[in-house]
Amino acid sequence: MSKEFSYAQLLETNNLLQNHGEETYWLCVTRTVQESKLFPVSAYILLSYLNAFYRWPTLLRKIEKHMPAERIADRVRNATTKIETIGTGWCLPNFYLLGREHLINMGMIRPQDGLEDVAYVLDFWKRYSLSWRRNEGHISAREANHRCQIYPERKLQVFHADQYPCEGGDALHTAAGKFMAATAQYGFLASCECRVSMTAHGPYKMADNVEMLVRNFYDLSQSDYPWLDGVADDIPYNCLTVTTSVKDTHFYLVDDWGSFEAKPDYKAENICGIGLYTSDPLTETHVPVGMGSREELIKTFEDLAEKMREANTKLWRRLATFTRDQLLDAGALVYYSIIKDIAHFAGCYEIDDWMMIDERANRFRGLLNDEYSNEVLGAMLVPLTLPSSQVQEYFMMLHGNQARRVYTPFQYALLGKDDYVGTVGGMRPGVSTLPKKVDRYRTSQGPLTNAEFNARVKAFTPALASEKFRDLDETWVKYHYDTPLADEMYKIEQQYSRKLKGKGAGLRRADVEALRDKS
Amino acid sequence: MARLFVDTDKFSDGEGPPIVDAYHSALKDLVRRKFDEAGGHWNDFVFGKAQELITAKDIEAIEARLLATGHRFTVSAMISQRERPEAYKAVDGSEDPATFSFEHPDAKVEAADAQGREVRGQGDNVMQNAKNTIGVARYFRNNDNVLRCLNEGVPDNTIAIIDDSGGTLTAPILEKFKGVICAGGTIRSHLGILTREYGIPCLMNARISGIHEGDTVELESSGPAKTGEMYQRGEDGSVRIWKHVKK
Repeated sequence: MSKEFSYAQLLETNNLLQNHGEETYWLCVTRTVQESKLFPVSAYILLSYLNAFYRWPTLLRKIEKHMPAERIADRVRNATTKIETIGTGWCLPNFYLLGREHLINMGMIRPQDGLEDVAYVLDFWKRYSLSWRRNEGHISAREANHRCQIYPERKLQVFHADQYPCEGGDALHTAAGKFMAATAQYGFLASCECRVSMTAHGPYKMADNVEMLVRNFYDLSQSDYPWLDGVADDIPYNCLTVTTSVKDTHFYLVDDWGSFEAKPDYKAENICGIGLYTSDPLTETHVPVGMGSREELIKTFEDLAEKMREANTKLWRRLATFTRDQLLDAGALVYYSIIKDIAHFAGCYEIDDWMMIDERANRFRGLLNDEYSNEVLGAMLVPLTLPSSQVQEYFMMLHGNQARRVYTPFQYALLGKDDYVGTVGGMRPGVSTLPKKVDRYRTSQGPLTNAEFNARVKAFTPALASEKFRDLDETWVKYHYDTPLADEMYKIEQQYSRKLKGKGAGLRRADVEALRDKS
Repeated sequence: MARLFVDTDKFSDGEGPPIVDAYHSALKDLVRRKFDEAGGHWNDFVFGKAQELITAKDIEAIEARLLATGHRFTVSAMISQRERPEAYKAVDGSEDPATFSFEHPDAKVEAADAQGREVRGQGDNVMQNAKNTIGVARYFRNNDNVLRCLNEGVPDNTIAIIDDSGGTLTAPILEKFKGVICAGGTIRSHLGILTREYGIPCLMNARISGIHEGDTVELESSGPAKTGEMYQRGEDGSVRIWKHVKK
């Protein structure tokens, strides 16, 4: 076996495999089936998994030549991007591993083939996730008993202070509700029925009876998806963050699919505070949108909702003319490119990397009729009836007690031997049946070409991600909040804040509450 | 013929569903043949020669052999059957809309009450509303149904009956519905999520019978919402769907 792999490394890799498998099973059992009469959903999911298996190891290694995973996550923690709970928390490891498991069951690979790739992808995920979640100290939502508390105090204070109060039936509450409905609707369509265009994290404690859930919407404007060219050009923001404070509701579960559960049941009428922000790889931190006054925010929500509706209708008309191959490619690329923003944040995004189906995956297209796709995807997830899932009969799997598992671990008998192939190899040509992508990407600095976007990202280091500040974490703040350095750091976060600009690091939650608008 | 690594498996009980068994058995045969053809060690084959030798045409041939046995695929996306009617079973929804109705074997059916309301089924309430929802039943089962309303407008008081729990088929017109009866999914399905966001009364997992296009229907949307925990505990908790009939 390779000199690089020790017993300890294999033990850790298998531990990560098992954890991802158990969480995947739980998510699939407790959530609903994704279906559509418009898109061949299961077929595109399978194609995306295969594409991820063949391409992601190479692309993640390419990204890390520009920036290590853990430092990308430092930047992402201060922005809205798809590489959060759903994108990196669950999809990154599991799309890749499900592609591997599918190939094992087809006899195309042995479990040990691609060992170096698997270990690398999981190690990338581990470093990224530990960094992104460093303020709560967990590696996953699962480890946190399904919580997702990402932000530092300085950002939460800004969100808290600048939220406008609202109550069910008032103009702001109504406008925000309509915006979120229209944006969710458009997001499902733009993402080909899957829910990766939105997620949520939290909860964050705003008061004794108030918790905040941060809701994020991604890939709204003309950017990476070819099918949004000419449809979403007028949507002025590619990513939006809605901060929602909810009264008399405890969010007891926020998982890595961005789903939440609450007691008592979540009701929109209990939303009592709202804020709206945007950000991307070129912003220092979250930038308020329409937050200058309550009236401005109402109008902003209404205007944005109307733009989402228009884009939604245009896009539906376009998709209704697509062939099955085009719908398959679009869906597969939404799934496969779920982690593409890692490349955006590293300044190395290339369309051929992220918007193409690798020829090695594409050869399986002829397999992916609706019936096979539905059946094999179901069998691979729940109830785990494929051969690779079956294990010795004394075993009782977590959550189900069956003698089954989701992912095949690596055998330790490989240690000291070389009977495996480490990697699938580098990139191979890709194909797509979709229209050629227009070279125009909506950013916080206006529409840019892909090359311009990459160049500006490479030239930009957010101050909070600089060496001076990036490691000044919550523990450091606890013991140094009264220093000029802490003040300086907080003021960077507060620079766009209506209520906190220039206030510095000394405020407590009650101080912030006292500064808020009361109506 | 070569043996594959996965040909030795102490605990395997087979390939799972029949179509998966058919495909995976054929794929493994293909891999064995190509591995024999390539010769040499598996390590040189798996990410090397196999990538040239196992082609899209080989995989398409597997499907052709399956179809030659008379098998026809079950459809989930309408486009699949539309493009390849010879490969897919006929699609539900092509029936005469004037006479079609969903007929679920578990639909509760009761005679008309004093108000002329026949119970015609039940569903999982996405959210509790102040009042029941009354409107005109209209089926939305394919793109053409949606496109017609997109071009001509959604008629007032439409209670959409949909068998797709996704959020995309009716995406451009969903906001215009007065209520939704969905014959699939759960309250957590994308359609459930969206109707909750829009504030549109919606019953998911609806089991109905004898409701036709143009019937006046009433959803018991004032009833309790079904919760995620009720699904996990296996509790029904459904609310009623009535058809209004002349007394």
